[in-house]
Amino acid sequence: MSARQMKLGLFLWATGHHIAAWRHPDAHVTAGIDIEHYIKLTRTAEAAKFDMIFCEDAAGLREANINIARQTSRSIGFEPISLLSVLAAQTERIGLVSTASTSYNEPYGLARAFASLDNLSGGRAGWNLVTSASPIEAANFGSTGLRPHADRYERAREFATVITSLWHRKAAGHDGQSFSVRDPLDIPPSPQGAPVMVQAGASDDGKDLAARTADVVFSAAQTLEEAKAFYDDLKGRLAAYGRQPDDVKIMPGVAPTVAATKAEAQAKYDALQELIPDDVGVALLSSYLSISDLWRYPIDGPLPELPESEGMKSRQALVIEQARRDGLSIRDLARYFAGARGHWRVVGTADQIADELQARFEGGAADGFNVMPSWFPGELDAFATMVVPELQRRGLFRKDYEGRTLREHLGLKRPV
Amino acid sequence: MGSTMYLAVSLNIASAAGQAGLTFAEIAGFVRKVEAAGIDMVVISDSMDERSSSPFEATTLLAALATVTERIGLVASASTLAHQPYNLARRFASLDIISHGRIGWNATMRQNPREAANFSRPEGIADDDFRRRAEEFIGIVQGLWRGWDADALLFDKAAGRFHDPEKMHLLDHKGEFFSVRGPLNVARSPQDMPVLVMSGLAAADLDFGARVADVILVKGKSPTDAKAACDDLKRRVSPAGRTPDAVKVLMTVAATPELATNRLEDWFSAESCDGLNIALPADLSAFDDFTDRLLPALQRRGLVRSIHHGTTLREHLGLGAGGGQ
Repeated sequence: MSARQMKLGLFLWATGHHIAAWRHPDAHVTAGIDIEHYIKLTRTAEAAKFDMIFCEDAAGLREANINIARQTSRSIGFEPISLLSVLAAQTERIGLVSTASTSYNEPYGLARAFASLDNLSGGRAGWNLVTSASPIEAANFGSTGLRPHADRYERAREFATVITSLWHRKAAGHDGQSFSVRDPLDIPPSPQGAPVMVQAGASDDGKDLAARTADVVFSAAQTLEEAKAFYDDLKGRLAAYGRQPDDVKIMPGVAPTVAATKAEAQAKYDALQELIPDDVGVALLSSYLSISDLWRYPIDGPLPELPESEGMKSRQALVIEQARRDGLSIRDLARYFAGARGHWRVVGTADQIADELQARFEGGAADGFNVMPSWFPGELDAFATMVVPELQRRGLFRKDYEGRTLREHLGLKRPV
Repeated sequence: MGSTMYLAVSLNIASAAGQAGLTFAEIAGFVRKVEAAGIDMVVISDSMDERSSSPFEATTLLAALATVTERIGLVASASTLAHQPYNLARRFASLDIISHGRIGWNATMRQNPREAANFSRPEGIADDDFRRRAEEFIGIVQGLWRGWDADALLFDKAAGRFHDPEKMHLLDHKGEFFSVRGPLNVARSPQDMPVLVMSGLAAADLDFGARVADVILVKGKSPTDAKAACDDLKRRVSPAGRTPDAVKVLMTVAATPELATNRLEDWFSAESCDGLNIALPADLSAFDDFTDRLLPALQRRGLVRSIHHGTTLREHLGLGAGGGQ
């Protein structure tokens, strides 16, 4: 048995990560208004001994174009802090992590909410720090426009400093550029001391901030080489902040489609691909490329030259790189992207998927994975009943929880 | 007014004197107990007024309580200074779906200087500005709650139509303190709008409260005071285009050890308001005294209902679709 075991997160997303998931005949289409759906999925992940579930967030619609939005299930859902509070009361062991933006929150308020969640769950909470890059969100917070990338990260750095001081009971009183806070946090610490800090930014600013403050980093990479380059880069930045490589767990996203045979798995995936309307696929791709008029270009032609964006820099670069490398048309790219928004897709048997995960885990490209089922509940059930037992047989994943808190699951030190 | 009164219990978790702080299980046990006794709603305060011993922030606690109770209304305080209106509207709309329509937001109109100091406003906010800001904030939240029609979601897998865009409405609010485009990314809630509870009203807030609130909590010294305050509020409701019954006025009384059955009965018998909000310290012996001794005595005398009338908080309180139309 391998001494080192991989960490697994379950990335929850309403009907599933595939853009057409909600149209799958067996997908739970009312997910966005059904709390029982989330309780059930989280209990499935807990029974499979996942380290944590993870919720993304955006304070606004995902898509501004009404004709696109109406063809997706992404315009409505639960607000994640209330969702995780429910899951805290309805589960025992699994970690509970949610995104919350540094752009449209105040550190004292967010520190209170996550500290409360950490207490409600007995030390299982985590916060995924993001900056908001969407103009749709900005319009809900009185901003006349999106802040430039560097400004967002400046604010995020200050936010992270304040919130960790509050959680770690460091000296109170902060008077900075974006925030001022006078008092210590009025919520006592949980059994894990402070919620786990998660980050996903992959730009230079994002990686530096993660190296300084994150316990877990979610990333996106297509190839083992890309994943390894990111892994080495980020781990290499830790020493500058007095941290050890093992202090941060790097967990790339993976979107598995598993079945008894490779052909069956491919057929399952192809059936979902058939459900993507062209305009929805192109719109999703556009949003990650931060370009508004991609639909003007011939869908079977190449990706046009794009200016550098103030949006999600790292994801844009990843997509462009992939298009050029594989000679993909806009349609190809849109359809590929619709499966998992640029994350790594694996289609095959449990054995084949375990092989792929093992190769990245043992190849120094990942400490674990953030699993993104294409649709719920079916693909989660398939992963939990087929892939997880295979990983356990290989000694790559735990058979039971060793600890109580999320920090214990992840093998992280308790903050001092 | 009817012969029975609405009854709320207000729980100040932060006040647990001499205790290390209540656990979630203890709080859940208490709320289930008052639910079994037919209490219409429990109000969780979250004042950040003074150093607290509570391990829980109110809205997160409410979400957890929603899944371990079935009928009782659940109301949390949340400050207009500590939140952005879009975020707060989302949180409460989400809670209302989670609880199947049992949620209320207690919006206090009273400014708390400690909040300003911790929320990047070291200079504080002038009282008059605070009032106009709070009014604008509450209007935005109620507007966002109305952003999706009840039948907007189609779930039509075959035709690829998830929702009807005609039934989703932008708010497009541009005001003195906020601009919010909307719509909310949470569906219409089961109560259409979570119940808006207001408290801490000064004389200058009364007309606003009468226009938008579903429930107004008023501190009462005696049944006579209460009647005057209630009558005053009800007079202000009609000019706002609402029936007096659309706003329930609950008097807040503190359950001190000397608040015996007879004294509480004075309040009920005087019918000076729509009901009472009983403020209990977060002290387990006070809970037991209230649920095991006081409540059964009041129920025996027919002053308090012992069952819930409906499934949503609006139904418990005999409220319509919500204020501020």
